[in-house]
Amino acid sequence: MELRAGDSWGIFTFLCAALCNLPALPALNCTEELGPGQSIQKTYDLTRYLEHQLRTLAGTYLNYLGPPFNEPDFNPPRLAHAERVPSATVDLDLWRGLTDNARLAANYRAYSRVLCSLRALDGQGTAELRHRLGHFCSSLQGLVLSIAGVMSSLGYPLPAGPPVSPGGASIPPNGGAPNDFLKKMDDFWLLKELQTWLWRSAKDFNRLKKKVPPAVVTLRMEARGF
Amino acid sequence: CREAAAAPGTPAWPRPPSLVLLIPKGASWPEPPWNYPAVISPQDPTLLIGSSLVATCTVSPDFHLKAEDLYWTLNGRRLPAASYAALGPTTLSVALARLNGSKQQSGDNLVCHSRDGGILAGSCLYVGLPPEKPVNITCWSKNMKDLTCKWAPGTEGETFLHTNYTLKYKLRWYGRDNTCQEYHTAGPYSCHIPKDLALFTPYEIWVEASNRLGVAVSDVVMLDILDVVTTDPPPDVHVSRVGDLEDQLSVRWSSPPALKDFLFQAKYQIQYRVEDSSEWKVVDDVGNQTSCRLAGLRPGTVYFVQVRCNPFGIYGSKKAGIWSDWSNPTAASTPRSERAAGGCDPKGGEQNTTLRRELKQFFGWVKKHAYGCSNLGIKLYDQWRVWLQKSHKTRNQVGKEPFTLLSPAWVGMGRGYGVNPPPGLRGVTWTRRLRGALLVSAGASRR
Repeated sequence: MELRAGDSWGIFTFLCAALCNLPALPALNCTEELGPGQSIQKTYDLTRYLEHQLRTLAGTYLNYLGPPFNEPDFNPPRLAHAERVPSATVDLDLWRGLTDNARLAANYRAYSRVLCSLRALDGQGTAELRHRLGHFCSSLQGLVLSIAGVMSSLGYPLPAGPPVSPGGASIPPNGGAPNDFLKKMDDFWLLKELQTWLWRSAKDFNRLKKKVPPAVVTLRMEARGF
Repeated sequence: CREAAAAPGTPAWPRPPSLVLLIPKGASWPEPPWNYPAVISPQDPTLLIGSSLVATCTVSPDFHLKAEDLYWTLNGRRLPAASYAALGPTTLSVALARLNGSKQQSGDNLVCHSRDGGILAGSCLYVGLPPEKPVNITCWSKNMKDLTCKWAPGTEGETFLHTNYTLKYKLRWYGRDNTCQEYHTAGPYSCHIPKDLALFTPYEIWVEASNRLGVAVSDVVMLDILDVVTTDPPPDVHVSRVGDLEDQLSVRWSSPPALKDFLFQAKYQIQYRVEDSSEWKVVDDVGNQTSCRLAGLRPGTVYFVQVRCNPFGIYGSKKAGIWSDWSNPTAASTPRSERAAGGCDPKGGEQNTTLRRELKQFFGWVKKHAYGCSNLGIKLYDQWRVWLQKSHKTRNQVGKEPFTLLSPAWVGMGRGYGVNPPPGLRGVTWTRRLRGALLVSAGASRR
């Protein structure tokens, strides 16, 4: 709710006080929507939850891939073919220099792509891994929707169209990897990138939260002398 | 400027994320014909346990690496140089003998490295055994509407390779094979067929197990849906006293509704136990009646009773059906005569009798003076005793303070209503909480 300085603040404050003290305000048809502040807080919480879930999922998944993938200092090369998820490792100044809209859109696109890739893994692995993957995908879906909610509450348009790889081609089922070992490396990097994305998103949402006023209450006033 | 790699609060797995783009030694990889630094052959082979393998690693000419600059690892462990052989200036081979089953189902990781440890190429080795025939196929149909089957794998667990199971079925006299789609409904080796099942005609059912090394088919099981029918537990189980008889209880129930028109030959079973015991006594010869009298019971004791149903002879089937689950336990108590006082703990017994008598008086009064109180009675008290039994938390408290009302239902009923105890009962020595909760529940039902 945009308030011009001076004229409406007095009424606004009075209404808020009245709202808090009266159980019913028949003169006012008041609807309180989930303001951007609360949306952002929820998204932040979800990001932190996913970070936590990812640790368990990654442990299970890397054990499934087997050594050396589950060794602590494992660092395979990254190969130049269609990336399943945009790299999280970009210049920090560049990232900070983006608008809120651009940053949110990048987050939205990245997590949508990750969701697609993780869903393509369905059916593989042990029962425990499949179960953890399923749970993680549900939470990740929640995050994607939550980001969409934040964008919408801030008045930004959602990025359009299905996610595509930078090369323009859609992601093939095995992620473009021509053999099983390369696919394992891709999976490793997917998890690692996801970890970085979540870590950075938490910071992004924390910063965004401070920019947006805490409780934005939308009041729709029916005519009754106000 | 770039942030330090290990910024505070960064996650620890598998190592803190660095905001520096990681470019390994060797720079970027050139485009075709060489997309990758090296090529391993065979790529992702499948092998029987105990077999041997010679693998080769050929490095791209752009890398200026020689065969002697390479080494191999298998699942992260370096392979001995004695097993290497240079087959050319840029090709190094390794010989693996008598392979064990794969360490993980995603395949063993055979990797070709450059001298500094960098990964040049890898190959996943799938080493295992072909599957064995699945065994012990058992199926059941819930109310003739569907079919669920489960089986056991041939070997103790899955082999070193991922094994896929497919349940197939067909009508005996028609040719078409059908494949079951809904797996893991009743455990990891199970499948559910929800519809389009024919009655009065036999089905052939079998399970196929397949992995990278082959396929194994179970023996075919032949069955008629009507021979493997199970149903829901009997509803409306009521247990009540038989007049003043101290050693008997009467049990009544309804036949399961889904099959109620077909259960002429159904059999029922009752099991009962004393409140404090875990030993169930089974009454087997109930036949197809929907009532039964239990005799030889202990006076003044609370019993828990359950009933189950077997839809035997449904539609003229000659085979026994499958027993349903037991109904939820129903509780009731046998009367205790005033005379019989010896044998049990006199204090506890007396308190119990006094309490029960007063409770019955109270409930009688409530029924007369309050509306909508038909549920309130000694039976409800007994059901509460059942609940108490189940609740681990209150188990210890039963001995100390039998009337601690922790049941949410009771608390919920009592919340927010204040009712003064009627004059006739003011002198009764009950615990305060019992009085409060029972009386406010009476108040609640009076509303």
